[in-house]
Amino acid sequence: MNKEELWKNVLSELEIQISKPNFLTWLKNSRMNEYENGKATVVLPNHFAKEWVETKYHKLILGVLRSKDGSIKNITYSVDSVSFKRPAEPVQAAPQTKQLVFSELKIDPETGLNPKYNLKSFVVGSSNELAYAASLAVIEEIGKKYNPLFIYGGTGLGKTHLIQAIGNEIKNNYKNINVKYVSSEKFTNDVIWAIRNKRIEDVKEAYRNVDVLIIDDIQFIGGKEKTEEEFFHTFNALYEANKQIIISSDRPPRAIPILEERLRSRFEGGMIADISFPDYETRMAIIKVKLQERNEIFDDPIVSIVAKKIQRNIRELEGILNKLIFYRNQHQDGFSAEQVESIVNDILTQSAVNVSPTQVIKAVSTFYEISPNDLIGRGRKKEIVEPRQVAIYLLREILNMSYPYIAEKMGKRDHTTAIYAYEKINLSLSKDQGLNQKISLIKDLINKPQNL
Amino acid sequence: MKIIVLRNNLKNALDAASRTVEENLNLPILKNILIKADQSKITVSSTNLEAAITKVVPGKITEQGEATIPFGLLNSLINNLQSERIDLEEKKCNLLLKTDNYEAIIQGMSPSDFPIIPKIAPEAGSFEISTSVLKEGINKIINACQISDLRPEISGILFNFESNVFKLVATDSFRLAEKSIPETQFKNNLSKSKKTIIPLKTIQEIVRILNDEESVKVFIDDSQALFKTETLEVITRLIDGQFPDYGPIIPKSLETEIVVEKQELVNAMKLAGSFTARSGEVVIKVGDDKKIVEVYSADSGLGENKYLISAKISGDPVKASFNWKYLLDGLKNIYTDTVLFGLQGDSRPAILKAPNDTSYFYILMPIKN
Repeated sequence: MNKEELWKNVLSELEIQISKPNFLTWLKNSRMNEYENGKATVVLPNHFAKEWVETKYHKLILGVLRSKDGSIKNITYSVDSVSFKRPAEPVQAAPQTKQLVFSELKIDPETGLNPKYNLKSFVVGSSNELAYAASLAVIEEIGKKYNPLFIYGGTGLGKTHLIQAIGNEIKNNYKNINVKYVSSEKFTNDVIWAIRNKRIEDVKEAYRNVDVLIIDDIQFIGGKEKTEEEFFHTFNALYEANKQIIISSDRPPRAIPILEERLRSRFEGGMIADISFPDYETRMAIIKVKLQERNEIFDDPIVSIVAKKIQRNIRELEGILNKLIFYRNQHQDGFSAEQVESIVNDILTQSAVNVSPTQVIKAVSTFYEISPNDLIGRGRKKEIVEPRQVAIYLLREILNMSYPYIAEKMGKRDHTTAIYAYEKINLSLSKDQGLNQKISLIKDLINKPQNL
Repeated sequence: MKIIVLRNNLKNALDAASRTVEENLNLPILKNILIKADQSKITVSSTNLEAAITKVVPGKITEQGEATIPFGLLNSLINNLQSERIDLEEKKCNLLLKTDNYEAIIQGMSPSDFPIIPKIAPEAGSFEISTSVLKEGINKIINACQISDLRPEISGILFNFESNVFKLVATDSFRLAEKSIPETQFKNNLSKSKKTIIPLKTIQEIVRILNDEESVKVFIDDSQALFKTETLEVITRLIDGQFPDYGPIIPKSLETEIVVEKQELVNAMKLAGSFTARSGEVVIKVGDDKKIVEVYSADSGLGENKYLISAKISGDPVKASFNWKYLLDGLKNIYTDTVLFGLQGDSRPAILKAPNDTSYFYILMPIKN
């Protein structure tokens, strides 16, 4: 007889001996937890029930239990209100007004995970299949196979989605596995808080008591010495205890500047998987999933236009879909392909309104550490050619300038030079991950002129 | 049991105990109170199985013992009696009540049927604070809390005990209020920093029954909290779960800062509120002329209105809608003449607080346009 059946039998006997109101109030929601070596633990939903049952019914319960199983010598009582809580209803009632809520409050405070990220909505294509497969392996065998799992890729390609989905999946599939997700910013803040309040032990305890630690955007801890050191010790403690560590970054470990060597070599010791730009088909699939999440449908030609236009950033894509959906709801008669194209173009050029060609040139020359004059000069050295082509590419891509004008700006060249350079870079981008990295770093520089 | 008490003292105790008297079909004894006289003191207790209140009644004990009788009946007798001195005596589970010229027998139940009030774990640390400081702190945040079946962890008040600050926090996911009490105003004997969530209902009762002149000790273990003064004990279960990490919600840099006479803004809310039907939507607008805030509301069935308030404004022009009741709730909790209303555009949290005061803030989300 297992403990559930045994307890059920005990309860049905107790029900006869105890008055009905008392039985309903004190014992109805009880269960038996442990049952071995002559010891049994009875779990009750609150302290009132515990006090009552312990004082009034202990002898009775012990007697009944022993008549079923003579080996039982002792019963202890404990309180557990969580497991008696009825499960929360999964669907939230739709808000009646448009009153906004603090969306951050949906984040699970225990794990730091946002439940909206799951593997089902993660679209797998050739650009991310390695990372996805590694994630599945980690979920299957936590801490054993790929440890640490290091996922890198450009902004808005789904790193956060994937690593949070791993966390959510592990949390849902396993009981008693402690998952903790933090951004490296949060980790840094915790360390700073601990130093200021002399509570470093609290932070150590909080991070070392987990079974799966997920750290997002690790590149930001580079150069923060105390944080790096704390992370290094945490990493070692977890790694040695065979706890799973999952890390994301916008670039591979060796490309993170000012990261201590000992951390870098540890990051490289597990599995490194990249997420690169999705191909056209994957983008189509992603758009369809995003539309489905919003309960919307677009015609295929329209999805195709969006997929062609947005190549580099999925987050950007979400914004564009929101805009398109908004536009369609405003104009009841739907929209044509031309309208979609013009809306998308509008948005894409919008972000660049404040950027001047000079800024782009300056950013490129800063990045490659050459002078702007060399960049637009006549030299044909190899070190200058790539930067020059990149500059041309960015002028076209970000500012949407005409080829003749670009050629003019880049040192009075022929416009065919500009066309050739743009197409060459565009082609290499689909193959050369390193170039991708460089371009996105330069774009960061352009968007944050204070770094120049 | 045989005791003599003064009418007013008994009435005070009954008022306190009334807060956790409950009608319960399964367990009718919950509508009773337990009167108990031991060697040193007389107490009146009640419980709703979520919290329990025990209040000391000053009086003379002639014979120890206990009795449990319906609260409602005793309460109405005490309210209507004129005599100062009341004799109470337990006889076979019934309670004999006597004054100079009045006598009653109240039918009771066996005291052994009354629920046993749980004790807090002996190792629980404690925290001591003056009741007026605690009550003021709670009153400043409690209107941001609401009972939610879906999210039990925010159906209560967060007590966040840190070594040098004690924070009280409440939220209903539309707004959030935080009050910080500095370490000069409490004594902390808790072993480490602790976060606990006290059910809203218990907190409301505690605010009502705590007396201003006393200080209160708060004992906390893993699943219960005990609020204890010289004459009162309230023990309550805690809400299981973790309060959301609200740090990311607090605006770090404000796009628009409006400093305005509080009373003006209160008036504006009440006026503008009259022209909102169910939505409660009021528009706050700052134009290029950074001297005036416009408060506007309209309803197709009622009409529209516009209120202009002069203010000190810095930052960007803005237009955002808010529920006027939520805004007013926040304003009510600020006692200075001027308030700072900080906005971050029309879809990110706005903040209300007293200028130059970091001990209190109230954050609220706009209504989407």
